[in-house]
Amino acid sequence: MDTIWIAFAAALAIGLPAIATAWAQSKIGAAGAGSLAEKPELSGTVIILVAIPETMVILGFVVAVIILLGV
Amino acid sequence: MSKVEIVGPRKLLGETLSLVRKKGNLHIEPSAVGFVDDIHKPVVHALLPDEKSLFEKIFLEEFETKMNNLFACLPDEIIRESFLAPRPIIDTVSRTLDRHLALCRSLCEKRDALQQDLLELSRYKSFLATVSTLLDKIQLTPDLDYIGITLKNEKSVDVLRDSLNCLDDASCELLTVPSEDGTLVGLIAATKDISATIRSLLSQKQMPEFTFPESIKNMTFVRKVEYLQKKIQESEAALQAVDAELAEFTKRWGPMYKAALDWVREQLSVIQASAFSFETTMCFFIYGWMPAEKVASLSASLQKNFAGSVVLEEIAIHTEDLERIPVVLQNPQYFKPFENFTRLLPLPSYTSFDPTPFIGLFFPLFFGLILGDAGYGLIILILSILTRRVARENHLFQDAISILKVCSLYAIIFGILYGEFFGDFGHTMLGMKPLFIDRRKSIIPMLYFAMAIGLAHVTLGLAMGFVSALRRHTKKEAMVKLLNIIFIFLIVGLIITFIGFFPELLMRPLIISILVLCPLLLFSGGLLAPLELLKNIGNIISYARIMAIGLTSVLLANVANQLSGLTGDIILGLIVGGIIHLIGITIGVFSSSIHSLRLHYVEFFDKFIELGGRKYRPFSSNQKKESTINLSGTDKKQHKKLKGTPSQS
Repeated sequence: MDTIWIAFAAALAIGLPAIATAWAQSKIGAAGAGSLAEKPELSGTVIILVAIPETMVILGFVVAVIILLGV
Repeated sequence: MSKVEIVGPRKLLGETLSLVRKKGNLHIEPSAVGFVDDIHKPVVHALLPDEKSLFEKIFLEEFETKMNNLFACLPDEIIRESFLAPRPIIDTVSRTLDRHLALCRSLCEKRDALQQDLLELSRYKSFLATVSTLLDKIQLTPDLDYIGITLKNEKSVDVLRDSLNCLDDASCELLTVPSEDGTLVGLIAATKDISATIRSLLSQKQMPEFTFPESIKNMTFVRKVEYLQKKIQESEAALQAVDAELAEFTKRWGPMYKAALDWVREQLSVIQASAFSFETTMCFFIYGWMPAEKVASLSASLQKNFAGSVVLEEIAIHTEDLERIPVVLQNPQYFKPFENFTRLLPLPSYTSFDPTPFIGLFFPLFFGLILGDAGYGLIILILSILTRRVARENHLFQDAISILKVCSLYAIIFGILYGEFFGDFGHTMLGMKPLFIDRRKSIIPMLYFAMAIGLAHVTLGLAMGFVSALRRHTKKEAMVKLLNIIFIFLIVGLIITFIGFFPELLMRPLIISILVLCPLLLFSGGLLAPLELLKNIGNIISYARIMAIGLTSVLLANVANQLSGLTGDIILGLIVGGIIHLIGITIGVFSSSIHSLRLHYVEFFDKFIELGGRKYRPFSSNQKKESTINLSGTDKKQHKKLKGTPSQS
């Protein structure tokens, strides 16, 4: 039973941040694409803005690994 | 960068600007702020152009427009350099320009009209070429009517043969021949009394008769074919004649007009630059910035050309000037391609650091750490070497190839260290063993390793930020950066002690140190300082992506190997494995590049790069080249848009 809960917790740890990241990136990406159409020189800023929410899923992944491997 | 001032008598302004343009090193400052002290402000004012200069500018602009229109009509050929000096030929050119422009426009319009005709006739070309072979086969008589049709395939021919009852009593005949575009061209020869019935039948069977232009509807079928063939031949010959005439014109007059256009553009740029000059009652002043190592050369040139009448003087740079100093990225050859990554961001300010060398050093390293497969690296290296000769003129592509080459070498090195060659293929088939770490199994050690890289990278960024703050004399900011470094090391020490790598005895002094330094951090950085510290720690954890994305890359490679093994066939296995590995390489290159770049932009540069620098734009003939490229593109488009409008001359 414990194994199921551990797996479930790990899945939640990576799944929820992944959904949150995807949602945030979809919004930022759409706005960024609009900005780039008008000002192509903003590409660097847009890359940064799109990349920022990725940290959530990376942190989620680290937590999931820690849960699964019991570090 | 040096702050300079060029001074001379007003009558020598034009010549001075021409020389400055030729040297191409001076970034002319349009504002006198920071160059003229308060005492001299009332006597130094912006140069106002006189009536003669204005008329000259209007004349030259009109001249340039006409010549641009002329070159837009001429074919894209390399024009040789003229042996004539441009200045003396300007008067001659101005007399002939209108006549030549009118001639070229009329030729251009004729060429466009012929091209349009040929475009419209091109849809008949294949049919005419095919049907004429059929007409040669049969005996043409005025008693018969001929119907041309296009059929999709042999099946359509059979359907048509079955439907044509006249074939039985030999009152009509159907001939078909394949055409160049893969369809079949058919020719029905029938007596005139049944031709209308056949046409009606074709319409019912949805096999419409081939349509000819409306203008020749009254001609017979054979006459139509002959007429169109003749028209195509005539149009092609006429087009060749017009092209030859334009090519001859370009060869004969092109060099002279090109020399004149270059001269006109130089004069215009000098007139435009003179608007950024300043004057007193007797002297002119040009203010600007230029690389320090070029100052002596320009100063010597001015001395040589004007015998001491025009002088260049270096002015002391004050603290308030720092924001205005233009910035230029100058890096050794190895780092040049990486400047493209720097250009994605606004330029760094003059007091900050050029981030290019850091990207040049760490980007390939992170790429290699993430991709870390000797086989993948080898494929990328081979591809980058093979594509080196493609698109030589495309600098961006060549830079991307150079970057990929360096990155692939790092991927090979880390692939050997990880013991990966197309995933576990190297291990199972070639007996490769990891020299450093096995990414597939050692997940936690790899996580620690990625974090350690993050710690080193972020700390380096903070240290650079500390140096940068000291250079700008912002002591509080420098203190915050230093405290952040100390706090990060204390927290990392605490975590390592908690895990059990350091003795537990260290825990108490570490906690006490953190508590003691907390007020100092709040004092120097304010209430947001703890948040800044948390952000820095989050940044270090963000480097876990090196492990996470690397793990997905190696797992995908292993999946490719396992699936190819499951096929049970060498050829099929190679195809399946090859396709999945190819996908893996593509994803690997993209994700490794994007994440490496992100680690620089978000986690690293944030610590020490101060953006917002002004771009160094020297007054040079290169500006002319840029405008030439632009004009050659846009003018031709504009010409096409304006095609049909009456000639000005």
